Amino acid sequence: MTTFDKKWEHEEQQGLLQRLRGERGTWAKRRRTQRTVLATVAVLAVAAVPLIDYSMAADKRYDGVVCNRSGIADSHWADVAGHILTVKSYEL
Amino acid sequence: MRRAFYILLIVLTFAGCGTPDADRHTAALYDRYAACSDLSVAQVKGFRLCDTVAVDVVILVADDSAAWQRLKEEMDIRATEGVTSWLGDIDKPARRVKRDEVPLWRAMAVHDEKTVAFYRVENAEQFAALREYQMDRMTNKTL
Repeated sequence: MTTFDKKWEHEEQQGLLQRLRGERGTWAKRRRTQRTVLATVAVLAVAAVPLIDYSMAADKRYDGVVCNRSGIADSHWADVAGHILTVKSYEL
Repeated sequence: MRRAFYILLIVLTFAGCGTPDADRHTAALYDRYAACSDLSVAQVKGFRLCDTVAVDVVILVADDSAAWQRLKEEMDIRATEGVTSWLGDIDKPARRVKRDEVPLWRAMAVHDEKTVAFYRVENAEQFAALREYQMDRMTNKTL
């Protein structure tokens, strides 16, 4: 093998290595982007859970009830809210 | 860049979980009476008047006559029977306001049941829905 051949082979190897490095860089970048997108979707999905209106799905007449007394069903208070409106009033 | 993006995401997440300003009045009214031992106090969130309109409601029920009397004085209710209804200031529910001063409370006190219910009205649509609900149900009752 002549000196020229050796140099040629060396240059060829260097070029191949450079190309591989470049490809690896692109691959790593793509992988990073994929991870970022996945993380974003996961965080948004978790954040959106409280926003899902389960009450609509269950066809409830209210979203929620807070009460200072225990042992009273939430639906009782929804009944009261509806009932008070329909007690006979002359100011309709 | 990525770090800034994550920080923004976290900030937005926490901002989304915060209490909307509109809930402040309802929570304030509930908190004001929740500690009273002789009152049953409930806050009904998103009480549906029809398919598209819902209102928040705060209900106060007096356990005895003394508590009811105190509540009546506080709310400036002079009648002794039947139903007393008024439009209340959103910050001071006992203070009577005119129809166009939304947001406001549509308050109804039922003497026989020692109960006062406050319906939070934010806009004309809710106001109309409340009235429609009353009309519908009361018409059905009398049929």
